Amino acid sequence: MMVRLPNAGKALLPLLIMGVAACDATPPPVGMVRGAELFETCAPCHGDAGVGNPDIAAPAIAGLPQWYVEEQLRGFQNEYRGDHAGDLPGLRMRPMAVSLTRDGDVESVSQYVASLDAAYPASTLHGNAGAGAASYVVCVACHGEDGLGNPDLHAPPIVQLDDWYLLNQLRNFKSGARGARPDDTWGQTMRVNSLALTDEAMQDVIAYVQTLR
Amino acid sequence: MLELAQASTYAASIDNLILLVAVLVGVWFFLAEGVFFWLIWKFRAKPGEKTQYLTGKEKHIKKWITIPHALVLVCDVFIVIGAVRVWYNVKQQLPEPDSTIRIIGQQWAWTFQHPGADNELDTADDIFTVNDLHVEVEKTYHFQLQSRDVLHSFSVPVFRLKQDAIPGRSIMGWFTPTETGEHDVQCAEICGIGHGVMAARIHIEDANTHAAWISSASAATTP
Repeated sequence: MMVRLPNAGKALLPLLIMGVAACDATPPPVGMVRGAELFETCAPCHGDAGVGNPDIAAPAIAGLPQWYVEEQLRGFQNEYRGDHAGDLPGLRMRPMAVSLTRDGDVESVSQYVASLDAAYPASTLHGNAGAGAASYVVCVACHGEDGLGNPDLHAPPIVQLDDWYLLNQLRNFKSGARGARPDDTWGQTMRVNSLALTDEAMQDVIAYVQTLR
Repeated sequence: MLELAQASTYAASIDNLILLVAVLVGVWFFLAEGVFFWLIWKFRAKPGEKTQYLTGKEKHIKKWITIPHALVLVCDVFIVIGAVRVWYNVKQQLPEPDSTIRIIGQQWAWTFQHPGADNELDTADDIFTVNDLHVEVEKTYHFQLQSRDVLHSFSVPVFRLKQDAIPGRSIMGWFTPTETGEHDVQCAEICGIGHGVMAARIHIEDANTHAAWISSASAATTP
């Protein structure tokens, strides 16, 4: 049986078809275009160019390796980052990572972040780089003499990170706000190495890392 | 029939107030719409019939306004009495607490500070959790609600509890859970880009389960 549409119905039919098309559940393609789209959520804190904003404890992320950004986003999603009452910036970051729910989104936004030009933010701390050089001997095994990191050991390049961010993370590792979860294997490794550092020693070693640029 | 869970001592009274408002306003809404469309139909344009001019002072016309107006005011009295009673019981009363917790909102997470085994806040055995609040059923809790950054609103739908958190202030409130279970906690005040995912869970436990949780969580690190 044929159903005759009234005139108004005929007029609305294209709108209906457009509406159904807009609801298409096909996931967007993985890659830079999707990554740029997702990065709009990151930009309010990390900046359009990913250079960060120290005023709200958002670090420079531009140019970090894709594998590292992916790993950190999954860490936030799996609650071994940003799930401690003392890690305030982490608490702010975690829901942002959790909102990446579609398959491929973590890879896409990480690829986009990696494609941005690294910022190498200026120093804000005043540690003793000479004294820090001695402490850095322990870090060399994973982060390398040049501080460029080692993907095989899940060690990120620390030379391009903000010094205040490094200090916060070392404090987090030492307090157990980061690296204390059994499923955070690489975080646990870092935590062990942070335990012996005083706050002054942390600032010294960070000052030394800044000289490696 | 849609049934909404009620898990606090005052949830039912708030629901009843909303029902009272909905029924009284609803009756008048449908009545007014009915009269409105009936009048449009009755006084529709007819061939050869001249439109009447009404000054609005005619008594037999004015009664269509004055009588419903008086009846609506009577309904308002019932609503005001109901609202004041609920406000007094929920917001103006502060029953003796069995325990006190601190709730801290920040972009975009809830931190809960539970008293440890000593049942005293700000002591060494306090338990800090993120996005998980543990309480014991049938116990009255005071909460100190704070915000670290912007306006938030601590909302527990099953308690019918919603309280703004304001930076720089510590706002006291209370609740008494009436049944065990696990329910949503949400932020009910737009607080930034992550507002929509600022969710937490409340775990309402019986005495044994809650005591076991305190024992197991006491080893948690403090900030």
